[in-house]
Amino acid sequence: MLSYVAARILACVPVLVGVTLAVFSLLFLIPGDPVKMMLAEFVTSPEQVARMRSQLHLDEPILVQYGRFVGHALVGDLGTSIRSRRPVAQEIAENLGSTAVLATASMAVAVVLGVSLGLVAALFRNSWLDVLAMLVALLGVSMPSFWLGLLLILGFSLHIGWFPATGGGDLRHLVMPALTLGLIASAIIARLTRSSLLEVLGQDYVRTARAKGLAGWNVVVQHSLANALIPIVTIFGLQFGNLLAGAVIVETVFSRPGLGRLLVGGILNKDFPLIQGTILFVATAYVLINLVVDLAYAVLDPRIRLR
Amino acid sequence: MDRARARRPGIAALSVLGGLVWAVLLVGPGGFLPGRAEGADPTPGGTLVIALDQEPPTLDPHASPSAVTYQIIASVTESLLYHGRDGKLVPWLAESWTPSPDGRSFTFKLRRDVKFHDGTPFNAAAVKFNFDRIVDPNYKAGGSRAQLAGYAESTVLDEYTVRVSFQGPNAPFVTYAAAGTLSLVSPKAVKELGDQFHTQPVGTGPFMVKEYVAKDRATTVRNPAYTRKAPWSDRAGPAYLDAIVWKFVPEAGTRVTTIESGETQGIYLVPAQALPRLEKDSNFRVEKMPWPGAPRIWMLNVTKAPLDDLRVRQAINYAVDKEAFLATVYKGTAVRAAAPLTAVMLDEPAVRQAYPFDPAKAKALLGEAGWQPGADGIRQKAGQRLELVLNAIEYGGGADPTAQLIQASLRDVGIDLKIKAQARPPFYEDNYRCSTHGPVMFFRATDPDALFSLFHSSLVGQNFNWACYKSAKADQLLEQGRREADPAKRRAVYVQLTRLLLDDAASVPLVDELAVWAFRSSVQGTKYNFNAYPVLSDAHLIRR
Repeated sequence: MLSYVAARILACVPVLVGVTLAVFSLLFLIPGDPVKMMLAEFVTSPEQVARMRSQLHLDEPILVQYGRFVGHALVGDLGTSIRSRRPVAQEIAENLGSTAVLATASMAVAVVLGVSLGLVAALFRNSWLDVLAMLVALLGVSMPSFWLGLLLILGFSLHIGWFPATGGGDLRHLVMPALTLGLIASAIIARLTRSSLLEVLGQDYVRTARAKGLAGWNVVVQHSLANALIPIVTIFGLQFGNLLAGAVIVETVFSRPGLGRLLVGGILNKDFPLIQGTILFVATAYVLINLVVDLAYAVLDPRIRLR
Repeated sequence: MDRARARRPGIAALSVLGGLVWAVLLVGPGGFLPGRAEGADPTPGGTLVIALDQEPPTLDPHASPSAVTYQIIASVTESLLYHGRDGKLVPWLAESWTPSPDGRSFTFKLRRDVKFHDGTPFNAAAVKFNFDRIVDPNYKAGGSRAQLAGYAESTVLDEYTVRVSFQGPNAPFVTYAAAGTLSLVSPKAVKELGDQFHTQPVGTGPFMVKEYVAKDRATTVRNPAYTRKAPWSDRAGPAYLDAIVWKFVPEAGTRVTTIESGETQGIYLVPAQALPRLEKDSNFRVEKMPWPGAPRIWMLNVTKAPLDDLRVRQAINYAVDKEAFLATVYKGTAVRAAAPLTAVMLDEPAVRQAYPFDPAKAKALLGEAGWQPGADGIRQKAGQRLELVLNAIEYGGGADPTAQLIQASLRDVGIDLKIKAQARPPFYEDNYRCSTHGPVMFFRATDPDALFSLFHSSLVGQNFNWACYKSAKADQLLEQGRREADPAKRRAVYVQLTRLLLDDAASVPLVDELAVWAFRSSVQGTKYNFNAYPVLSDAHLIRR
């Protein structure tokens, strides 16, 4: 088990190095001079451009710049935002909570809804329930989140008036954004649960369990669902990335504070330290969550840790 | 209210529940309980919730490069002078101002009854502190820095008299002294609050910043100590509203929904699609304020063939169908532009009539210039097709929609316009190098000296003479405009200059854009300054 954990953790290192390289090169991959781009809307003198260049250390050799970038990132210093003039780490910390709450709530919606739909579809395979559940899932997969968000606003804010269309804060503000993200993520989970469960339900040991006279529900939940979970857990980790990407749109549609809004604002304002810092943070979080998922396999399936 | 119409029989039960929620919402923040019937004296009280299209980068008036800052703080911080909707400058924190004979310095006599929100007295030393702060190389100034260009020093002559001096004649300074960018903040608060000042600016105005929640809202509250008469108002005393909540709602559709549902009572930047709906509905009032400065304008690069031929540039001015822009894209959010300054900057009838839409005249001019119709509908001269490259910023969803409309207009007279939609850095580089046939751009400014940035020969290769236009006559007029202190004579200079620029066809003025606000009709008394920013001390809520 220990060697499995160690191997998984070690495997993260090159990924993270790759992430820092990609984020760092962002500044050099865009066409043109980043400093001029950042100052584009101001009337600037050459001295101001030079001062900005040296403040961002862009006048140093590239390797030194990369070293500085990684060194500072390791101690949590992600630079200073050009627009707000505040530390990027502080900006991220302030927005993290809101996005974490949104991600957790929408993941809960996705898992509860997705697994139930998948379960129903698998158990009543080829019946109208199956067709209905998969139709819902298909709708979810095909629905752009900004559109679903606007529809929910139209229905629940304008016509019924249950939830406010904008803002962060209490539970009332959370419902619609979480539903938007969760409904979309649930679709994939539902389809996967269905196929994975169908495969397991066809296995010999399930027939044996039934032959022993175990109750139907017991067979499904204890013997089948547990074994069908591995691919679902995998998709859970991957979906987390989608949730963060979705947060970019959903937070904008619902005017909700969060990392997505932070990133969009950074991109629109050409605030490079902010863009780099946020992407680095999100990418690292994504890697770490998938590490947790890898470790969860081992708990769910003893064969993996013994291999 | 209008909620009733939204009900459908199938969801009657839901609507009853929704109604309860509404009842709760209406008395909560953003509700409009206080106030009496229309026509009566406004009753003070209530909170106005306004949704803006973006979050300000900072609320510090000296640090911001962005209009949204001044939309929020236009009645929080005050300036030496006030620039009204009629274009006139009147006293505000200064009682009077006198330019020196050489036009290099300005002496302001200040009011003696003004205190900042934190109790710090407003005086000459405070003015000096503010202007010195903006030019401090260690301070990251925003738009304010350009408006103090050439600043030499401020001298405290006595406690309530200050002289602001420049390295050269600077007639535009009195206009900028009335702008939000040069509004005055508490020196004590600047020193004590440090970085926090970005979200808590301390001014002298009828509203004070109370709270700032990043990515969500800023709240300004009534300054009870405000006993003066604001220059836009006809009464003395504090603001009517208890508070204004400025919500940041970037998605246009969401913004419109919030005002329709009553979650907000005002929105800025009404999208063109929703404008007819709100205008037709008596529950709302749409207010359109023309932006000062240059219109949306195509700077014609006069150095690049075939635009080095005046007849071709004039032909383009006749060929572009501006009414089509208004009908298809702007739909009531803009008016036809006629000059490199918007109508609110320079309303001169002779100028407004320049270059009517006249494709026949355009074709004749092109023919005169030697460009004859070719087989594919595009004109040719000596085997060369009449092709132009328009420089444009790629916004993700494509270039500025005006670019496509120009393309269609020009095709009708036989010009093939290619749109070079690109990211900002190469867009700027191309402008600096004069390598395309010019960009479509806009420029916001309150003084006609804006034309200096756009057309002075010293600014070719920099911001923003992207017409690459060099004219000794225009330079001379631009410099004269900076020297001339007398408003009438100054206006004459800019009229003459504008006619020269139009005769030289150095640009194609496209549309004068409007700042479009919408309010629920329960909100009354909204006013705006020359900058098209709202000043809301007379705003109040009525019950209907």
